[in-house]
Amino acid sequence: MQGLHMVAVHHAYGSTAVLNNISFTVPAGELVCLLGPSGCGKTTLLRIAAGMERLQAGSVIIDEEVVADATIHVPPEERRIGYMFQDYALFPHLSVLDNVTFGLFRRDRVTAKERAMEMLDQVGMARHAARFPHMLSGGQQQRVALARALAPEPRLFLLDEPFSGLDTGMRSRVRAETLAVLKRNNVATLMVTHDPQEAMFMADRIKVMGANGLILQTGAPADIYHKPVDEYVAHLFGDMNMFEARVEHGQLISSFGAIAANATAEGTIVRVLIRPEGMTLSNTDGSNTDGGGPQGGGALVDILSAHLLGNSSLVRFRVRDGINGGAEFHVRVPGSFDLTEIGPIWARVDPDHIFLYPLV
Amino acid sequence: MVKITPSFEIEVETIDNDHRRLVDFTNQITAAIDDQQYAECARLVPDFIALSKRHFAREEALLDKFDYPGIDQHRQHHAGLDDKMETMLTLAGRVEDNRLARETLRREVFFFLMDDVINEDMDFKKFLVDARSKEK
Repeated sequence: MQGLHMVAVHHAYGSTAVLNNISFTVPAGELVCLLGPSGCGKTTLLRIAAGMERLQAGSVIIDEEVVADATIHVPPEERRIGYMFQDYALFPHLSVLDNVTFGLFRRDRVTAKERAMEMLDQVGMARHAARFPHMLSGGQQQRVALARALAPEPRLFLLDEPFSGLDTGMRSRVRAETLAVLKRNNVATLMVTHDPQEAMFMADRIKVMGANGLILQTGAPADIYHKPVDEYVAHLFGDMNMFEARVEHGQLISSFGAIAANATAEGTIVRVLIRPEGMTLSNTDGSNTDGGGPQGGGALVDILSAHLLGNSSLVRFRVRDGINGGAEFHVRVPGSFDLTEIGPIWARVDPDHIFLYPLV
Repeated sequence: MVKITPSFEIEVETIDNDHRRLVDFTNQITAAIDDQQYAECARLVPDFIALSKRHFAREEALLDKFDYPGIDQHRQHHAGLDDKMETMLTLAGRVEDNRLARETLRREVFFFLMDDVINEDMDFKKFLVDARSKEK
């Protein structure tokens, strides 16, 4: 079975457990992302896979070869792994071409150069082969680092926050290019990031890690976004609207209307989380200030502020009446929001963006 | 091609046997997609799902028998896989004329097997092995 398998990995620094019985698989051709805050153990997992950290318990298997367990430790240089870190670590005294051929010491000079040029061509840097790293932009250096890491045809590729050093505009472009190259080379890729949007874009599977050294949720990006297992995971993708309510007759009463409580037990007090993009605003005559379709029910609101963020606006409002009267919420609407709009505004919620979590 | 090596064994015969059969199904589904035997693929996926559900029931019964402290969580995990199984069934019905459905089904079946079934079961491996050895 081609790829990486981490089986029952446990790791502690002194008496502090940072990884608790972690098991997961990264098959060839797929990109799995470890997503979590600083200190959750994601980089430690990466280092264990790389062989830079001694495995304390469990096993690490790459392409059916056990590279680490209780009795085995294959050193990093023999695991055939490619790495890309935040600082790229290009050799400043070597040209772009020489940086990429550096890891191809098992090949003769001619085939090494051919392979290096093939990889530089893949990342769009072939015409810069004679230049030196200090002559390149951050994005160009990242491309060279990618070519260097992939040139030896690794069986596993590890990325540790590789795009953090790039400015926003360049980051999106370089991310997309990197993903295309990785997919073309069909290598199993494990990536670490604290950026949820980056994980959503890059990953075939996301593993959300918590502060307790456990994997809290595993799934495709859509699963994590639409069905977060708890409040912590839900909050990963940005601020949420929140209020508390009691389940009565299988539903919750809110100013926006009745909300189905699914399988939550009668009388349970739950925290209701609603994504800003899960609400819509509309006029009393049924037309929409946000271009979206109206849902049933709705709460009469007073608009407090609107901030244009580019292709969307963040609008803050206060509910006038009902059980949520006086509470403030925020909604994300497409385009600009006209604060001079005359007439009452109604806010409605999309059930697909509502999450209920029983209060402990 | 998926292979179960000793590292992945739970060391409980009923569970490991189920896992091996699920691996066989996964390999057959992948082969059917690769060989463009789409009708065969559509036939295999419901059987794969049915076996998964029977496996979950057997597993929960075993964990219940030994009072596994995390059994509620594990049951919840199984219940949370209903949507994924439905998705796989839907994809299986579309593999004939949809390339994306084929790629997605291949990925979903693999990750379901490895992450949601086998890797997830590693959580209780030690507990179950210890509990059964005490029973003997």
